[in-house]
Amino acid sequence: MTTKSAAILSADNNLLLEEPLLRLPLEVLRKIFKSSQRYIENDGKKLTELARDAGAKAPQVSQEASLESLNAMITRMQTLKRKMETLHEEEKVVHAQSRKRVSHLNDLHSLSSLLEDGYESWSKIRLDRFMVDYMLRNGYSNSAKQLAQKQGIEELVDVDVFVQCWTIEESLRNKKTTECLAWCAENKNSLKKIKSTLEFELRLQVYIEYVRERKLKEAVTYSRKYLSGSCDTHTTEFLRASCILAFPPERPGPYKALYAEGRWDHLVKTFVSTHHSLYNLPQEPLLHVALAAGLSSLKTPSCHSTLSTRHNTACSVTSLCPICSTELNELAKPVPYGHHTTSWVDHDLIVLPNGRVYGTKRLSDLAGKLGLDSGKYRDPISGEEFERADVRKVFIS
Amino acid sequence: MDAIEKELDKLTNGGANLSKSIKDIDKCLEMLMDARTTIENDPTATVPTLQALESQLKTGFQLATDSLKGPHGGIAKYGKALDKKFKHSTNENTFGALANRQPLINRAIQMHLLREGNFEIAETFAKEAGIVEGVPSVLDIEFRELFSIQESLRRKELKPAIEWAEKRRDLLESRATNLEFELHRLQYMILLFQGTPDDIPNALAYAKAQFGPFQKKYLTEISQLAGCVVWREKLSMSPYAALIQDESSWQSIIESFTTEFCALLRLSAESPLYVATTAGAIALPTFNKMATIMKAKKTEWTSQNELPVEVPLPDKFKYHSIFVCPVSKEQTTDSNPPMMIPCGHVLAKDTVQKLARGTGSRYKCPYCPADSLPKEAREIYL
Ligand SMILES: [Zn+2]
Ligand SMILES: [Zn+2]
Repeated sequence: MTTKSAAILSADNNLLLEEPLLRLPLEVLRKIFKSSQRYIENDGKKLTELARDAGAKAPQVSQEASLESLNAMITRMQTLKRKMETLHEEEKVVHAQSRKRVSHLNDLHSLSSLLEDGYESWSKIRLDRFMVDYMLRNGYSNSAKQLAQKQGIEELVDVDVFVQCWTIEESLRNKKTTECLAWCAENKNSLKKIKSTLEFELRLQVYIEYVRERKLKEAVTYSRKYLSGSCDTHTTEFLRASCILAFPPERPGPYKALYAEGRWDHLVKTFVSTHHSLYNLPQEPLLHVALAAGLSSLKTPSCHSTLSTRHNTACSVTSLCPICSTELNELAKPVPYGHHTTSWVDHDLIVLPNGRVYGTKRLSDLAGKLGLDSGKYRDPISGEEFERADVRKVFIS
Repeated sequence: MDAIEKELDKLTNGGANLSKSIKDIDKCLEMLMDARTTIENDPTATVPTLQALESQLKTGFQLATDSLKGPHGGIAKYGKALDKKFKHSTNENTFGALANRQPLINRAIQMHLLREGNFEIAETFAKEAGIVEGVPSVLDIEFRELFSIQESLRRKELKPAIEWAEKRRDLLESRATNLEFELHRLQYMILLFQGTPDDIPNALAYAKAQFGPFQKKYLTEISQLAGCVVWREKLSMSPYAALIQDESSWQSIIESFTTEFCALLRLSAESPLYVATTAGAIALPTFNKMATIMKAKKTEWTSQNELPVEVPLPDKFKYHSIFVCPVSKEQTTDSNPPMMIPCGHVLAKDTVQKLARGTGSRYKCPYCPADSLPKEAREIYL
């Protein structure tokens, strides 16, 4: 009944939750690269224009004027160089971080058994990482930073990205769209690529708020500027939005949904999910994934049994199940219990007169440790003592 | 991982980064500066110098743009290496099961932080997460004591642990643990082997004073310990060397201390959060397969009572006895418990009912020639 194969460590199988560890820095790297591309393109265009201008004007203007325009170009060039150098520094940080992460995954590849001490320490770091990820996604950023620092895993977690995400989330919760719109502008191309509706919905909300406050003139101007451009892609929404001008929030008529407060929650959710897909991040905290799978695989019918036979910490020969523990018991209630095809019991089972079944060795070891008379057994859970003569053998096939 | 590392090397050291573009931009800058120097030194050169700038800059920026191909390609290749690595290892599961259970997860995290001795972080966390009904403050105090005793054991100081154990001798006794005796034994060995020869009487006095209560249970062991004075001069050859010199014996005494400490609080020694997430990570490939099957059947595994397939986990993750009825192949539960029939064989209750065709009449045991009545079967607790 030993299941040796279950202890074999396949690093690749253990990587199911590790993809974001390397994906996120890659996305950051892409972002840095795109900025550099944009800088070079924009400044290059501008600077050649300036050069053309200066060259054309040179015969007509004074030498001072020519020098001045040359100096302006130099300043611009210096700024570009500085911006590029900053990006290069950021890039180096991401490279170093990725290297640390790759080496952390390599640590896992060097192990061959789930029973090695090395696996335990690796798995402890993984839990720390998952807790930090969970904390960041829930906006507990101080806890996250403290934990990352204490455990020395700052290179393995992504505080900045999540903190930025949380700040924008919070601003949306406070019904402010500025930060989120700025974010959309920053990621314009990527958002277009995934056909995101986030920006349109944000703009629509700004418009609705104008209408709500009955600032109809502003509403119309805003709509012309920002919404009418999308009327091809979002025809229905656009038309509906135009109609609410005639329906104030007190008498919303068929447009109650547009005035609903819930639209803001919806915006928050849309933003977060868009943000995570842009960064290739899972939508759910990794802790949820690992924990839910763990709860279910460890859970047995006994863990939520109504018979008062669990919580057996009474004795050193039994160990407490994590699902039975107060920390996880409630959490594990709704998940299915693990499936088993074979029984898992001690050798040489005997049944005590009270109906409880144990392995003979477990009971005799306990009797020895307790210094009981040789003719007796003690039930480690109930504490009752029985004559050895009164037990029966049990056969489990 | 090698392919990933190779591509990463190219990004860092292989020049597939922004450094080359920056050099090109620097050259453009130099060119502009040179132009300024030329004009300043020779005003007549102003017009031709400025008129040459546009095409020079164009060329310069073209170079800078071309140099971006390095990092562009490098990032793409690195991305491909990641695609390849994670091709078959992407999590397919979504676990709605925990989505709305934040308070419970928060409490589990808070508890884990305390168990690990991260008291300050636990405090920050409780505040930030607005935990109202968190871990009772009694536990907080207990965990602080646990942690400080663990620390002293790590420094190889036994006294705080011994004091703790002495105070709880009865409780520990009823758990049938050797902890207190083991602590005293270690202390005695330290006095004996690590002191000066003058300390020998102290060690013996210690033994006399402390081993008293354990005379009955550990008689042979105690007499052996008394005899080990003779090994004093040649510790390394003695059978006791490992006991005080090995780090692992200290590690194991810290572990048994932690187990006992937690057990008296009715808690497991290992953090349940750690055990569960570790088991979950090991189990995930199976869940992925399950997700595929369930998707085809248009159901979700979370909606079932029992998982559809077995999750292979190392034995140390098995905490309960499991009984699977050999006839029905079903796991027993509260409503369908294991029953022992008079011959000593065990079947699920439903199976017994079925064998007797629900009539209460005699039936034959499927595993031996004995026959019996359903009412003679008795429920057992595994
Ligand atoms: Zn359990
Ligand atoms: Zn039988």
